[in-house]
Amino acid sequence: MIEWSEQHIMLRDALRDFIEKEIKPNLEQLEHGDTPPYDVLRKMMRTFGIDQMAKQRFERQIKRDKAAAEAKASGKAEPAEERFEEAGSTDGAALQLIPIIELCRYCPGMVTAMGVSVGLTAGAIMGKGTLRQKERWAAPLMTMEKIGSWAITEPGSGSDAFGSMMSTAKRKGDGYVLNGSKTFITNGPYADTIVFICKLDEGNDPRERKIVSFILDKGMPGLTQSKPLRKMGMHSSPTGQLFLEDVFVEKERLIGESEEAAGGRSGAKATFGTERTGVAAMALGIVEQCLEKSIDYARTRVQFGRPIGEFQLIQLKLAKMEVARMNIQNIVFRQIEMSAKKKPMTFAEASACKLYTAQAAMEVALEAVQLFGGNGYMAEYQVEQLCRDAKVLQIYAGTDEIQTSQIARSLLAGS
Amino acid sequence: MKILVPIKRVPDPQTNISVKGDGTGIVTDNVKFVINPFCEIALEEALRIKEQQGGAEVVLVSIGQKVAQEQLRTGLAMGADRAILVLSDDELDAATTAALLAKLVDQEKPELVLAGKQAIDDDANQTGQILASMLDWPQATFASKVEFSGDKKDVTVTREVDGGLETVAFTLPGVITTDLRLNEPRYASLPGIMKARKKELKEIPLAELGVDAKPRVKTHKVSPPPKRAAGRKVETVQELVNLLHTEAKLI
Ligand SMILES: Cc1cc2nc3c(=O)[nH]c(=O)nc-3n(C[C@H](O)[C@H](O)[C@H](O)COP(=O)(O)OP(=O)(O)OC[C@H]3O[C@@H](n4cnc5c(N)ncnc54)[C@H](O)[C@@H]3O)c2cc1C
Repeated sequence: MIEWSEQHIMLRDALRDFIEKEIKPNLEQLEHGDTPPYDVLRKMMRTFGIDQMAKQRFERQIKRDKAAAEAKASGKAEPAEERFEEAGSTDGAALQLIPIIELCRYCPGMVTAMGVSVGLTAGAIMGKGTLRQKERWAAPLMTMEKIGSWAITEPGSGSDAFGSMMSTAKRKGDGYVLNGSKTFITNGPYADTIVFICKLDEGNDPRERKIVSFILDKGMPGLTQSKPLRKMGMHSSPTGQLFLEDVFVEKERLIGESEEAAGGRSGAKATFGTERTGVAAMALGIVEQCLEKSIDYARTRVQFGRPIGEFQLIQLKLAKMEVARMNIQNIVFRQIEMSAKKKPMTFAEASACKLYTAQAAMEVALEAVQLFGGNGYMAEYQVEQLCRDAKVLQIYAGTDEIQTSQIARSLLAGS
Repeated sequence: MKILVPIKRVPDPQTNISVKGDGTGIVTDNVKFVINPFCEIALEEALRIKEQQGGAEVVLVSIGQKVAQEQLRTGLAMGADRAILVLSDDELDAATTAALLAKLVDQEKPELVLAGKQAIDDDANQTGQILASMLDWPQATFASKVEFSGDKKDVTVTREVDGGLETVAFTLPGVITTDLRLNEPRYASLPGIMKARKKELKEIPLAELGVDAKPRVKTHKVSPPPKRAAGRKVETVQELVNLLHTEAKLI
């Protein structure tokens, strides 16, 4: 893939119209008020048939799961994976990323909220859950009928997610009792469905405990969801804390419905991979918008009797932004090609893509603020918002430092 | 029912248009093109009729350069069933366009032609009317509401006319042209865009239709509208009235 196709541009233009009519007029409320982003996101999914497609994708997956289970039960070989058009083509993969890119030009927070709900929470259940769990919890998340949270981070455990984790599950009768607190949880204040990751306490050394994940519903006794936390950016994505005090759950809420199949570290790691790949598309939207606005401003803002675009120092900024845009776009194209060929990205490559695109988005957005001068610092010109939003790309889904060390470790291990 | 919807490729009404230095037309480089908004409303209405009647075929036609494929594909993604592109590199006048459409009506035999009332590029507002008279079909222009009888043979159209609404009715086949308030067109959906790829888009060279396309109308000069002069503030109502009388000569 070397450029967007006619279909991609058609979807892009339609989304731009939608954003112009439905999001731009409400940007103030979404960014600076307390309006959660879910209704607008649902409307977007409905308008563009994204919910319908998610439903179909879900049904196909369930069909495959059932066929595989039957084959296994009767001792036959697993059926060959059915090819399906949508995800098997570059178009399918690209059409899924275009809404992310376009939304990020105005509201990266909305993408964070959507990505955590649909990509991470539903993704975790679809990855390691049982058929029953997928049908009960993942299906309504995939269409955004329900909102999801994926909770691993704790006050005392961030980058060292597994090592310092304090949250626990203890066996009790047929079920478990859960305790612990989680923080920085996207959608936490509003989530209907929560994937809660903790350690199975069998009285053993915390370092040796198994990682298990549970599915919780809003309103369960003992579960408290905090109000949204105040933060630097991503204001259209509510972030909160979760507190669990002796929350009793049946085994049906243990992801995989067995301690061995419970997702464990590999389940959470698969989710890390997913969230890393989403960042490149987000960065592209932010960078495209900053660049477009900067070019426009450089052409029209006059100082010392000429447009500032005639000053070489401003030209340098624009040129660097364009180089970043090209690089990020190429990374996004590569992700699309790989996903179309069903070739998974190695963990190290996903880390490298995330590290580069997050840093590039931050640099470009900061330079855009600089290029706009005082106006850049004012909310009216929007680049300050994108700049605040871009910063978190270097923090969540694994900090820059963590990505860096993972890339290096993988190089040194010769893998 | 088969509905023929002609659509025209025009510059996006949101973009700034500049006139070429020699006055032969507008600058088209870097200008985004879209489906003429009135045509889009006609297409939306055709799709709604199709949905309401639980079946109808919506056939798009565009006449113009090969790039008009883009607009036809967008129309297919919105839900039209197939598309025809009559290839022509020349600017055609309304009478020629109507004659070409009449030819296609002969071939396709639709019960209804649903067209925009005018294209926002030349604002001619003639094609639908000329087409109806060439076909000797009834016409209802500037539609703000379209309703079918139970047997789908008759149609009642509310028209926006100066000073109010007029209701007309005719028995199909006929021509309807759409006004702005008829509906709000849908967006092309993701599944729609993916399906559009497989829908038929037939290209016909203009010459094959055997219509005399010799232009009868010639564009002599295109010029930008005069720049608006800065306004002026007046202190009192009396002063305003005086100026309207002495300077603007309006009262
Ligand atoms: C807006 C937002 C939304 C979030 N959403 C979610 C969510 O939905 N679910 C969820 O579970 N979590 C979420 N998080 C949490 C996020 O994943 C963590 O903040 C992140 O992983 C970093 O952890 P920490 O904040 O504890 O920082 P720490 O791990 O305490 O890091 C502090 C600093 O030390 C550095 N550091 C740490 N270890 C090393 C090392 N070994 N080598 C070098 N440097 C190191 C870090 O890079 C960082 O600079 C969200 C965070 C934010 C800000």
